[in-house]
Amino acid sequence: MNDESKNKIKERYHQVIQRGERFWPDSIFKDAIMALAIFVILILLATFIGVASEPKADPSDMSYVPRPEWYFLFLFKFLAIYGQIPLLGKIEWIATVIVPSIAIILLVLMPFLDKSPNRYYSKRIMPLSIMGVLVTSMVSLTLMADVPTGTSLPGILQTIGGLVIPGLAYILILLLAFFFKKAPATCMAWTAVAAGVLMVGFTVAVLFLAPAPVTAETVVANTVIEKIQAGQDLYAVNCVECHGEDGKVTKIEGVKGLEGKEIPAINNNDVLYTLDDASIGEVIAYGRPIAGMNPFGKAFNPEGLSKSEIDYIVTFMRYMWDDRFEKPVLKPLYPPLAAGEVPSYDVHIAPIFNRYCVSCHRKGKDNNNFWVTSYDEILKTGDNAPNVIAGDANSPLLTLISGTPIMDPADPTKELAGKMPPNNNLKPDIVAVIKAWIMAGMPQTADDAAKLTPVPVPTATPKP
Amino acid sequence: MWQKIYLWLDERLGLKEMYTGILDRPEPKGNWWNTLGSASLFLFILQAVTGIFLTVYYTPSPDHAYDSIQYIMTGVAFGWLVRGVHHWGATLMVLVVFIHLLRVFVTASYKYPRELTWLVGVGLFLMTLGMGFTGYLLPWNQKAFWATTVATQIAGSVPYLGDFILKVLRGGSDLSALTLQRFFAAHIWILPAILTGLIFVHLFLIIKHGESHFPQKED
Ligand code: HEC
Ligand code: HEC
Ligand code: HEM
Repeated sequence: MNDESKNKIKERYHQVIQRGERFWPDSIFKDAIMALAIFVILILLATFIGVASEPKADPSDMSYVPRPEWYFLFLFKFLAIYGQIPLLGKIEWIATVIVPSIAIILLVLMPFLDKSPNRYYSKRIMPLSIMGVLVTSMVSLTLMADVPTGTSLPGILQTIGGLVIPGLAYILILLLAFFFKKAPATCMAWTAVAAGVLMVGFTVAVLFLAPAPVTAETVVANTVIEKIQAGQDLYAVNCVECHGEDGKVTKIEGVKGLEGKEIPAINNNDVLYTLDDASIGEVIAYGRPIAGMNPFGKAFNPEGLSKSEIDYIVTFMRYMWDDRFEKPVLKPLYPPLAAGEVPSYDVHIAPIFNRYCVSCHRKGKDNNNFWVTSYDEILKTGDNAPNVIAGDANSPLLTLISGTPIMDPADPTKELAGKMPPNNNLKPDIVAVIKAWIMAGMPQTADDAAKLTPVPVPTATPKP
Repeated sequence: MWQKIYLWLDERLGLKEMYTGILDRPEPKGNWWNTLGSASLFLFILQAVTGIFLTVYYTPSPDHAYDSIQYIMTGVAFGWLVRGVHHWGATLMVLVVFIHLLRVFVTASYKYPRELTWLVGVGLFLMTLGMGFTGYLLPWNQKAFWATTVATQIAGSVPYLGDFILKVLRGGSDLSALTLQRFFAAHIWILPAILTGLIFVHLFLIIKHGESHFPQKED
């Protein structure tokens, strides 16, 4: 730039500033309002949306689908779409290295590439058009980030809207700028506008056609109580079969391959004082394969427990069994029943079965094919089904949980099934709830149960 | 009395010149788009303040990072608020800085004599993204761990240099305690120090050249 135009710019700025304002207080005032607005927005966001809880990092969990911070999503999406281009798509570093580098270099070189002193918008249509297309495509890629790429219809539309259209627009704008200089400059602006409208259209179409996202609900426990409760549920499913509901078991019963094996009770100080949290976590993750406890860590077992889940179990064991810890007050397994109230599967029976039985009574375990993971399974499955008969106090299940084995009628010396649970007895109040449920006809929902509950006969006329 | 103290200070600090030089500057008529730069500055300061508070409780080790954050969220009075503001502040800062960049691009404020202001600005933009990238790993949760694994992998795809870059970022071939440690160092020392320095240069240049005016037909 020559001195003449430099002076012209300075001259012009000098004029403008005469008609201007003062930094203090004019500009500062607006700045302060802006800062205040931002502050208020942040407080509202922090209070009402907060920060989503996430489970602890688990390096062995290869199945986790990574997702970057939202402002990098457009790059992620760009990479995914780019990867589909035949041949070129295989050369990863073009997209990961070259494209971002070009963007940064262009930003850095901006003042040196665009050396004309012109600042008015209509004299800078080319850079403005390109930036317009770029920003629109970034927004569009960000919005489409969660829609899977591929050969499905939304996948193809994505490729067109996110890669083809902006690509063509850049080429066209550059051609107009450097080769067809005779065409009016507004052609570039119209190209950008057309590309923008098309991109918005494609984005809307993709979002409209996209399959509803599957939001895998992962339970994240934040407070100690939540952790203990989550740990208790996980313990119930994974550990009860061998260690019993309260960790007391010293002789495994009812587990194929380990029948009669002597193990240390894991709820006493011998174990809890000698193993710290990390060691218990390791026992759970690595198991005791030689002694017969299989590993639960994700590294050995894709369906195993995550790091957070193992943490919860350890927390549960500590707080419930270690006498150095104060035992927490947990919410009861099921809401207490009023006299004569009929329990329902949803509210009372499911939590009981999940706590005491499901560890053995699910698919893949040795259990006479009696499964208890749903209402229908309890009613219909089992080698000697039905195990529950409405209104029958001699239902096999009731017999077993009362501590009496069932003998084979053909051969009275042979057990069809031993007492349940095999390793210890259910508390009498729990047996009573299950019995009340079977006697009342095994209602599934709370509503069904309410219908079966006899309405108490009013003893005195209620006052109006 | 106050007058005397003021005069004494003014004599040594030059308060008067500071006032005319920094505050009482003439400026072209501005509008709300001109508040974005100072909004970026405000967010940077807010991030620094909330971030300093967070480091009081945060522990940069794989064993404790996650739990220390949970403790901030549930055990520290108003910890959830401070972390919430820092979390959303990061998001907003990236957004505001980017829109600020767009506004100076659109008004062609990067032209003579403000080329250097723009260059420093590009540095600020990249550093801001760097803050977002390094901060993302610190909670050491699943999202953080795997996003960083993939992102460092991408950085590792550079031809020839990739392996080296990957090792520098991760401090080894895998994401480990070392990675967390160096991301932490970058997030609370290295990048903020660079950012602070660049911001001072940026502001100095703005005061030196004055803010540009919105272009009119004759520009
Ligand atoms: C298939 C049966 C089985 C299952 C299921 C099982 N364990 Fe074990 N567990 C064992 C056996 C067998 C031992 C080994 C005892 C020994 O070392 O003699 C053991 C040992 C342990 C020990 C160490 C005791 C010590 O003295 O070192 C702990 C702690 C433990 N289990 C916890 C758990 C937890 C928590 C779960 C649930 C995630 C679980 N176990 C699930 C069978 C099982
Ligand atoms: C430690 C594992 C274990 C636990 C815990 C357990 N069971 Fe069983 N259950 C078995 C096994 C094994 C059988 C197969 C018969 C046998 O070996 O006794 C069985 C059989 C049964 C049967 C007979 C099924 C049929 O059709 O023959 C019933 C009913 C039953 N269990 C109910 C329960 C109930 C209710 C609970 C929870 C309170 C429970 N079980 C807890 C291991 C277990
Ligand atoms: C941490 C990030 C940043 C801070 C704190 C910051 C701060 C500021 C402030 C306070 C102003 C004056 C007010 C205004 O015009 O808005 C300004 C102007 C400016 N900024 Fe930034 N900025 C940042 C990032 C950037 C970026 C990313 C760029 C561009 C690449 C940039 C380029 C400029 C330019 C060219 C000006 C002069 C504008 C004019 O004179 O009209 N800045 N900046």
